[in-house]
Amino acid sequence: MAKLGHVSGSAAHPLARRDFLAAAIGTGVAFGFVGLGDAAIDPGNFARAVGTEGPVFAPTLWFGIDREGIVTINIIRAEMGQHVGTALARILADELEADWDKVRILHVDTDPKWGTMVTGGSWSVWQTFPVFSRAGAAGRMALIEAGAKLMGVAPTACLARDGKVVAGGRSISYGEIATRGDLSRRYTPEELGKLPIKPIAERRLIGKPVVAIDIPPKTNGSAIYGIDAKVPGMVHARPLLPPTRYGSKVVSIDDSAAKDVKGYLRALALEDPSETATGWVMVIAETWPAALKAAQLVKVQWTAGDAASVSEKEVQDRGAALIADPKAGSVLDTGGGDVDAMLRTARQKVEATYTTASVLHFQLEPVNALAFEKDGLFEIHTGNQWQSLILPTLAKALGRPEASIVMRTYLLGGGFGRRLNGDYAVPAALAAKALGRPVKMILPRAEDVRYDSFRSPSVQTLRMALGEGGKVLAMDHAATAGWPTQILVPGFMPKGTNGVPYDPFAIAGADHWYDVGAQRVKAIPNDLANTSFRPGWLRSVGPGWTNWAVESFMDEAAHAVKTDPVAFRLAHLTGAGRNAGGPPSAVGGALRQATVVKRAAELAGWGRALPADTGLGIATSFGQERDMPTWTACVARVRVDRKTGMMIVEKLTLAVDAGTVVDPDGARAQVEGAALWGLSLAIHEGTEFVNGQVRDTNLDTYTPLRIGDVPTIEIVFAESAEPPVGLGEPATTVVAPAIANAIFAAVGVRLRHIPMTSEAIMQALSHPR
Amino acid sequence: MTSFRINGRPVTPSFPDDTPLLWVIRDGIGLTGTKFGCGIGMCGACTVHVGGRATRSCITPLSAVDGADVTTIEGLDPAGQHPLQKAWIALQVPQCGYCQSGQIMQAAAMLADFPEPSDRDIDAVMAGNLCRCMTYIRIRAAIRQAAGELKGADSHG
Amino acid sequence: MFRRIVIGLALALVLGLGGFAAFAWRPSIAPIARPAASDFSADLVARGAVLASGGYCATCHTTRGGKPLAGGRAMVTAFGTLYSTNITPDPETGIGNWSEEAFRRAMHDGVARDGSHLFPAFPYDHFTKLSDADVHALYAWLMTRPAVAAPARSNALPFPLGIRALQAGWKLLFFKPGRFAPDPAHDAAWNRGAYLAEALGHCGACHTPRNGLGAEKRDAAYAGASIDNWVAPPLTGANPAPVPWTSDELAAYLGTGISRFHGTAAGPMAPVVHEGLAKLSPEDLKAVVRYVASLGGGDARAAEAAPVIAKALVADRSSLGPLADADARLYTAACASCHYNAGTQPNPLRPDLALNSAVSLSDPTNLIRVILYGISAKDGAPAIVMPGFSGFSDADVARICAHLRRTRTSLPPWSDLEKSVARIRAEGRGDY
Repeated sequence: MAKLGHVSGSAAHPLARRDFLAAAIGTGVAFGFVGLGDAAIDPGNFARAVGTEGPVFAPTLWFGIDREGIVTINIIRAEMGQHVGTALARILADELEADWDKVRILHVDTDPKWGTMVTGGSWSVWQTFPVFSRAGAAGRMALIEAGAKLMGVAPTACLARDGKVVAGGRSISYGEIATRGDLSRRYTPEELGKLPIKPIAERRLIGKPVVAIDIPPKTNGSAIYGIDAKVPGMVHARPLLPPTRYGSKVVSIDDSAAKDVKGYLRALALEDPSETATGWVMVIAETWPAALKAAQLVKVQWTAGDAASVSEKEVQDRGAALIADPKAGSVLDTGGGDVDAMLRTARQKVEATYTTASVLHFQLEPVNALAFEKDGLFEIHTGNQWQSLILPTLAKALGRPEASIVMRTYLLGGGFGRRLNGDYAVPAALAAKALGRPVKMILPRAEDVRYDSFRSPSVQTLRMALGEGGKVLAMDHAATAGWPTQILVPGFMPKGTNGVPYDPFAIAGADHWYDVGAQRVKAIPNDLANTSFRPGWLRSVGPGWTNWAVESFMDEAAHAVKTDPVAFRLAHLTGAGRNAGGPPSAVGGALRQATVVKRAAELAGWGRALPADTGLGIATSFGQERDMPTWTACVARVRVDRKTGMMIVEKLTLAVDAGTVVDPDGARAQVEGAALWGLSLAIHEGTEFVNGQVRDTNLDTYTPLRIGDVPTIEIVFAESAEPPVGLGEPATTVVAPAIANAIFAAVGVRLRHIPMTSEAIMQALSHPR
Repeated sequence: MTSFRINGRPVTPSFPDDTPLLWVIRDGIGLTGTKFGCGIGMCGACTVHVGGRATRSCITPLSAVDGADVTTIEGLDPAGQHPLQKAWIALQVPQCGYCQSGQIMQAAAMLADFPEPSDRDIDAVMAGNLCRCMTYIRIRAAIRQAAGELKGADSHG
Repeated sequence: MFRRIVIGLALALVLGLGGFAAFAWRPSIAPIARPAASDFSADLVARGAVLASGGYCATCHTTRGGKPLAGGRAMVTAFGTLYSTNITPDPETGIGNWSEEAFRRAMHDGVARDGSHLFPAFPYDHFTKLSDADVHALYAWLMTRPAVAAPARSNALPFPLGIRALQAGWKLLFFKPGRFAPDPAHDAAWNRGAYLAEALGHCGACHTPRNGLGAEKRDAAYAGASIDNWVAPPLTGANPAPVPWTSDELAAYLGTGISRFHGTAAGPMAPVVHEGLAKLSPEDLKAVVRYVASLGGGDARAAEAAPVIAKALVADRSSLGPLADADARLYTAACASCHYNAGTQPNPLRPDLALNSAVSLSDPTNLIRVILYGISAKDGAPAIVMPGFSGFSDADVARICAHLRRTRTSLPPWSDLEKSVARIRAEGRGDY
């Protein structure tokens, strides 16, 4: 399965912009750039300001130490609530034997030297762990060498601890070594790759509780997000969006009524060579409220693109037609076998089709960007998850080389995959270019939603051949949806066994770890979805729908062969053959998945008697990717009110094996959030594509989970020394099938569409099969 | 012209009377801890106190606060050490953090009305504050912890 | 149309009467030089100030954000839009050249200095009951206000309603001039309250329904009416509030703007409380409460309150919980943070919607207006705000109203709610 390249560990570059530390913000959190002496940022608010001088000792690209002994760790990942800076800094600081109180994190601006900048896929810790461990180890060894020389002892007589090099009763601080020592030591990537890292017993920070560095500023209003960015002289842009994402054209603009609004400047139709913001009109004013008011008075006429006559039903019908077409799609390498023959001859067959509705990101901070040109550099100030992806698009839109564009880094008011797609930077940049002034653009909520690259609706059909003793002999899984990767990064698409490229993120999860004999997984792009809207990656991406189908289907199969759903799963999680797993991250394979299934079932009291109309349902997942598995299982306890069809999710029990847990409390927070996302997607969220737009554009009708909807949640983590893997997504994908399976257990109704609704339950209850 | 006090300081912002208070606070006064989320009073990210009561500033016109006392997250406690803020840090409530100013302001107002809130009280009063990261479990726990601290402080004088 | 025909017939009848012209004609009263402030004693002016507050002169004669008493405020009536006039002592555009006699004639007879008839939007049918002494004090106060040059706006009345002379016919039919006469069946305090409410406060101008020609229906005094796009609820026993309006609750409501069992004074009632009644002496306020309480007889029903309140607090919680429907979820997310109550008594600053008058009125207008436009810090409960949910769709607001009606009352559902919301949105926020 394709994945992004590991972060390059190039250590050849000394810190090129030492003085970028000069203007520091954040309680230990610094961003690569601070808004031009902005008065709104009061340095007095920040207790842990970064040293003013900058690092003098930087043995690798990833950190530096100044004369005060302050260790500044460079973070290329976006901070969007996962406390990634803290988690990554702990990895490096642990190996470095740094004094945690002297550690600062710097969320850097874009620069080619950082390699690929992306935050997503639950990759951050997994990809960074080997790099940062070795960078820290390199620093520790260099500091020991230099410290030993200063103390006049042999390096072998020294050890590093708490920001000091210690030799017997003597010690010398890292700050002093940085000040007086030999600072010339540098490590090549090859050298770094060979460095040994500490045994687990020697870890002093990893796995220990810590207050995440980004948290205190988020409790007092001082945390700075993209929407807070400002520069002197900026104007404000409130966009008016065309009726369809693609193919809309501005016919006329009448702003006569807006001219009475004080501060209104003009309405600007964007010309976008990158076709990212086609048909946009930017209402420009001196103040944001004036832009808002004027926008209500500017009348724009558009011609719409083809999607104006496309709705969810057409997209889903197209999906169903593609699944029925034997020639459509790409076949994944899942070991093969003659699936069709098995299905023809099996004594028992099961088949079911599962669907999911369009889902919005609805990250709470609407997308926004501040853009301007200064000293030959085009600056984009915004929160973003995948800078490396949008920079080439920005270059195309602005007609200038990528090297002359820099993205300044801010906190993200929610990512969830929305900000992997940096499309919102483009209209701000185009307006700034057209006006020759800094432009701050915010999308009001309805516009944010309409421009969302939402999760495509999906259709999946699964078939299974069952043999003696309820053993699965063959499984066929065809999945179709809009493919984000096909639209945004076609280069990331590997080829299937039939030579057809596929979006790995849109099918992951279908290549599960169950032993099912002959197995065929077909990934099919929904071309109507791809041309009607921009499908996006949304927290948990493909497994968000593939695992809904797989885990509902496993339950249906278990019931078809009259086997307990837990026992049925365990019988097929044997760790044999391709499911044996292996290094680096999948040691143990399917047996580890079996362990979490058992654990969750035990904790939830599987098999015990329950009150009427109450059921337990189980679902499991290996997370996002086969070579980075996060073994997860969830049991949902659900009561169904037969009079209203309401589902009362009473409890979720989750067992997770994520290898080494770097930040225990942060890990729990990620699983809590992911599980509740799963619950929200299962029964509270969901919209519909209607005539070129999503139907729900705000929280009056789009109804994510709120505090009163939170059930009891129990989460356990496996103790493990295996490499750490991702935690932000896996728990999302198990909740919906666990609930559907529990509903079946409670009242015998099988739901095959999410969001599950009380109407669907009532309908099924009143029309028993 | 509308005049009011914000975090104890008198202000007379030069915005039209129908300007949402949120933008007056953010763009006029320069306090950006109060956030814009939905613009229709359904997410609570813009919650401030007006006369001590939690109020959605995105749907409150400037004219409505004439003569009133407005408090933002920056003014809740001069040192950021309100019992709720301390509990929020101790229990590591925030994830992305964007909604948390509003959550804390709403919770602070709630504790004035419900010093020992039940789960039902919390669910009802906090229902208007959406957390997209779904930190609700910790929000509940932190409110209870802060309520305990406030109660302890009361009983000790 | 029916109304127009009635008007036409009435006018024809009136015109047929030979004496009409003579009846209608009123002389001009000679202009005077603007009196000096020093012509009036400070005590007299102070007394006039209180009376002016109690009569809400400034409320109607000032535009939103405009100079006090300079007029121009729109009054939307069934007959067209009228604009209040400048009553500052500006000699050119105000009443600076009015003698006290001219002022008294305006107050008591509804005739301007120049002899033209005033429209009854100016409640001279109430002010006619004011004592000469109180009119004297009001004159003193008005003449000592800062003069503002502000010409009157032309009224937007369809022909022939704009013809002032025809107002004489209206007076002939509906106007009974004369000072307040105490009712010997009641004591002095009640009569004081009646005088303040009827003569000065003109409560009936809003709370008494009007006939086809815009006159208060004498046989339906205080039966409730629509006014300025709001509903003025009945002050009689027909008031549908679940908790009876006892003297205590009226005292709280009229004295502070909040009744914990009914809600806050919003819309046109807000200035009545905050700019008017608040300025009266405690004794006078008590007298008003005494009088108003007697209209509805709430004290006799005081025992009904406790069970109703207990039931309301249970209803409050019906919107919560896993079985809540989509409307309940919308209500909870939008409203419960401020309106949810626990315990055994509602918090007055958390207006309990199961008890709130706006939810139990037969007309949803007040509820819709408050949801759409909110209540500012100067209105309602002082110094706090209810924001306006105008970002909600008509359907959203209708869903919340219907949900409250359904879960908080046992009254029949409101019909055509979504259309009502659309209409009220189109009417705009207005001056309140």
